[in-house]
Amino acid sequence: MNRRTSVPSAHDPAAQPGVLSAFGRSIWRYKAFYVMLLPGLLYYIVFKYIPMYGVIIAFKNYNLMEGIWSSPWASPWNKHFLTFFESPYFSQLLTNTFLISVYKLIFGMVPPIAMALLLNECRIKWFRSLIQTLTYMPHFLSWVIIYGILLALLSQSSGLLNRWLEDAGGTAIPFLTSTSYFRSILVGSEIWQNLGWGAIIYLAAIAGIDPTLYEAARVDGASRMRMIWHVTLPGIRTVVIMLLILNLGHILDAGFEQIYIMYNVQVYAVADILDTWVFRTGLQQLNFSLASAVGLFKAAIGLILVLGSNKLAKRWGEGIW
Amino acid sequence: MVKGTNDRVVNTVVFVILFGCGLAAVFPLLYVLSVSLTPFSEVLKNGGFILIPKSITFDAYRKLLTESNIPSAFKVTVLVTVIGTILNLVVTALMAYPLSRKQLPGRKFFLMMVVFTLLFSGGIIPTYLVVKALGLLDTIWAMILPNLVWSFNVLIMKSFYESLPEELFESARIDGAKEFRILLQIVAPLSIPVTMTIGLFYTVGHWNEFFQAIMYVTDRTLFPLQVVVREILIQTQQPLENVDNMTPGETLQMASVIMASLPIIVVYPFLQKHFTKGMLLGSVKG
Amino acid sequence: MRRMKIVSVMLAVFMLSCSVLAGCSSGNSSNGEASDANKPANAAAGNANQPADAAADNGAPAKDAEGSGASAGAVKLDIIETGNNLPTPDKDFIKQAIDKAIQTDLNLTVYASGDDYKNQLNVRMASGNFPDLFQVPDRAALKQFVDQGLLLDLTPYMDKLQDVKGFIGDESLKKTTMGGDVYAIPKAPNIPYNTYWIRKDWLDKLGLQPPSTIDEFLNVTKAFAEQDPDGNGKKDTIGLTGSKFSTFAPIFGAFGVGDPNTFYVKEGKLVNSLYDPAMKDALAFIKKLIDTGAVDPEIMANTGLQHQEKAIKGQAGIVWIDWPNLSKDQFTEQIKKVNPNADWIQLAPPKGPGGQYDGPFDAGGTSGMYAIPKALENDKEKLQKVFDLLNYVSGTDGSQLVQFGIKGTHFNLEGDKVVPTDLMGKEAGFTWLYQFTGRPEMAYLQTKFAPQSKYIEFANSQPRIQILNGFLSNPDGYNPADATRFIEEEFVKFIYGKNPIAGYDAFLKTLEASMNFKTYMDASTKQLEDLGYGK
Repeated sequence: MNRRTSVPSAHDPAAQPGVLSAFGRSIWRYKAFYVMLLPGLLYYIVFKYIPMYGVIIAFKNYNLMEGIWSSPWASPWNKHFLTFFESPYFSQLLTNTFLISVYKLIFGMVPPIAMALLLNECRIKWFRSLIQTLTYMPHFLSWVIIYGILLALLSQSSGLLNRWLEDAGGTAIPFLTSTSYFRSILVGSEIWQNLGWGAIIYLAAIAGIDPTLYEAARVDGASRMRMIWHVTLPGIRTVVIMLLILNLGHILDAGFEQIYIMYNVQVYAVADILDTWVFRTGLQQLNFSLASAVGLFKAAIGLILVLGSNKLAKRWGEGIW
Repeated sequence: MVKGTNDRVVNTVVFVILFGCGLAAVFPLLYVLSVSLTPFSEVLKNGGFILIPKSITFDAYRKLLTESNIPSAFKVTVLVTVIGTILNLVVTALMAYPLSRKQLPGRKFFLMMVVFTLLFSGGIIPTYLVVKALGLLDTIWAMILPNLVWSFNVLIMKSFYESLPEELFESARIDGAKEFRILLQIVAPLSIPVTMTIGLFYTVGHWNEFFQAIMYVTDRTLFPLQVVVREILIQTQQPLENVDNMTPGETLQMASVIMASLPIIVVYPFLQKHFTKGMLLGSVKG
Repeated sequence: MRRMKIVSVMLAVFMLSCSVLAGCSSGNSSNGEASDANKPANAAAGNANQPADAAADNGAPAKDAEGSGASAGAVKLDIIETGNNLPTPDKDFIKQAIDKAIQTDLNLTVYASGDDYKNQLNVRMASGNFPDLFQVPDRAALKQFVDQGLLLDLTPYMDKLQDVKGFIGDESLKKTTMGGDVYAIPKAPNIPYNTYWIRKDWLDKLGLQPPSTIDEFLNVTKAFAEQDPDGNGKKDTIGLTGSKFSTFAPIFGAFGVGDPNTFYVKEGKLVNSLYDPAMKDALAFIKKLIDTGAVDPEIMANTGLQHQEKAIKGQAGIVWIDWPNLSKDQFTEQIKKVNPNADWIQLAPPKGPGGQYDGPFDAGGTSGMYAIPKALENDKEKLQKVFDLLNYVSGTDGSQLVQFGIKGTHFNLEGDKVVPTDLMGKEAGFTWLYQFTGRPEMAYLQTKFAPQSKYIEFANSQPRIQILNGFLSNPDGYNPADATRFIEEEFVKFIYGKNPIAGYDAFLKTLEASMNFKTYMDASTKQLEDLGYGK
């Protein structure tokens, strides 16, 4: 009783069961489900979909005074997209974004999965818990702090590592100002920051595996490697594929904050990405329309990848929907 | 049982690799901690890098506790995190459960709707207008409601619910249990690992959140921890003319980082046991 | 049994939160329940369409005046700017004093990050939730706001701002004039802070004199890196450090050119440093300097205060930096602790073929400008209060208040002289947040930073190239971000020897061809000529 009144029944989608079409009937049958969906849907509509009209400023010359609706349309309609496509740096930005993002996609997923597997194989309980906590901690350091640590370690003139190199008779390496190291450092520091944090989701997935499957494998005399291969990995397959699909949607987000803090003019050629360019070009000059246009471009590419990969995943019985 | 030596080799390899990872994680963190405890001139004297402080001072911590807004901001953050996480979990679970039922008419549409927002967003101005229209500006709800549901978490939760065996629901329905009861009495207890995981994601999300506070809150007494810490961290970016400003120095900055993240780090080990418990599926099935 | 308990607790929490939410949204908003999905959209769109209307109910964030000490009937003024360390209203004695003096209830909000501030400013503007007075981030923003009709034209009100005008000087208003009208109040003029600083003890140790020409400068830089001035037996010192191209500002000056892409008047003509024939020579010399291997290899990556850190920890012998960051008590203390013998002195700019100039000084630059939204036009009472505020902080009493704190508590007057008390240093470190019209810079610094006054004098009295970039706003079709990146990248290639300087003319051609630089040059020249420069 209590339970039924806890939801606003006025919004019950099937409050008028007068229309007895097959569709209406099936909706009526699942009414409890729709009631459950209601608070979430309300959230999505109010905070996500109502503001969505804001994307039209990508096609307008946005004027703060006149607002989103009344601002004049850009002419030509794709003016802000052209600013972006016609930038002399367009192809370089796209390449950098894509490369960094793909590296991060691979190294942002494989090490945490490996970490989760290793932790799962660790039989010493306190040690497992210790390592799990230690590797989780870097997640709470912001990129400003991490860059500070990187400087202390890698700086060409004063970094600890270069000091050791020099003491050992070598020459200092310009880690932070050389185009040949910069991307590795981006990816490396991301792995470091994300290793333990990223593993959490896979650990949860592993925890969800039916223990009887392991028992059965053990009875069959499977080795630990075989159990990982035949039980654990298939057990987290769904989550892995889902994360992969979702990450593909963000393929043009290569990590603005990290790069913005770490890059400098000497590595622009390999480090400047769409978001840093938009920041310098659009937001610092209050050009919201440009920022919105690039956002739309990124999202469109992301959508294509998500739809495509989801379709592909469905062939193996996975996929988000 | 079998292959005892092989097992021991695996154990050793696992141990060594994990030890290496732990060391790699702890080394820089030790630096942060040490700097926060050492007078900055001492750090500089060491060429800017220390791992073990030679002379310890708690000045930075004392200063933060007495002179900064950290204590009051801490209360705001805890309030937002607790209320926020509870609401997040309830609404997310309520969304994820129906979406995990493959027979639900319109399921694909709702899922698309959820995924779509991961990619497209209206931008900060229209969102601000909504928050303003709802009268949420300068309330703690402005730090909770605009991120009430994370699509990512809904999808994770939904996929865990999907992995529950169908028989479970069938038998419950035969019992005449209503869907709300199935969710609360059968599904929820069985998905403690995923609920904990997502709860952790939400908790950490609230804990680290500063953007919404900066956008929607102008009342300083409602500023959360991260806004205060951010102020301390980016003071060095101030224009030159603000000569009066005391540069906080790295000691204070690192201390603020430690103070802001320690509470949330401490929570983690207590949650860990829930990830390892595994599901009680076996018993339920039998 | 236990499960039932959890269930009921969860339900209770959920129901409770639902009711709290409902209460919250209906309590604070006239726009109705959150559940009515369409209404917020209309309200939002309505606001965007009619900013003037929305501005009328300006007090949208319903806030309690608790602890503010404001009297009833006081006019509430919302002010936003960048800054930090603002205390809460109950501890903010400046707010309380101003409120008392001009019957207001000031609500100042400060943002530590310039980007956060820009975001906040924009959403407030877009939602019609205008602050009554706000800082304009820069000239580009000023232009944009003026173009969009957001700012109140102050020209007709100038007679009501007499104190302000007297305080900042008529000339200053040029910086905030657009198309002949004044749209913001700039802060009173500032003075230059930056010079080269050099380790006197290192010079002594190596038996060298402070360099007075660029060739001597090169030799000293080299000696600092090679001759082990810190005497630790290791080759671990750097000759020169700094942040980005400003590291070489006095070197550019020695060739008579400004920093990259700056405008100045040379021999009666308006010049952009990129087109200054001496630029090539300056670059060639900087390359020579870098080739010695004695310049910090990471100058381009030094952000924030990394160069200062290298100086303080005893690694660098020369640094281009402002006096506060090397001579404030806090830092001298650190320097002494690291090495008791360390002795930093300021260095006059070394002479070169183009003369002797320290880093450039922007004639159009301000340390901040404040504007009033156009919407305030209709609220005469409030507008008058904003003027009162600006006049008050520009007048004798108010200005002293926002500079030094409360008379008798934070400072005492001996004749005309302000004598700080101990409390000033302890409590009054945030008062600058209320210096909306600035301060008499020299007198202010001399009072607040008495031990540093010789450094302040020195930095202020060096000859500098007066640049004019502060007066410029970018024309349409020119993307300053792309052009800046291109210029910086190519300059780096020149000075690090990746491209020969012989290719400089080709660089200019590419700049014009692919970055629309010609448009920028033409527009800038016109803007500056309109202001009477180079004619």
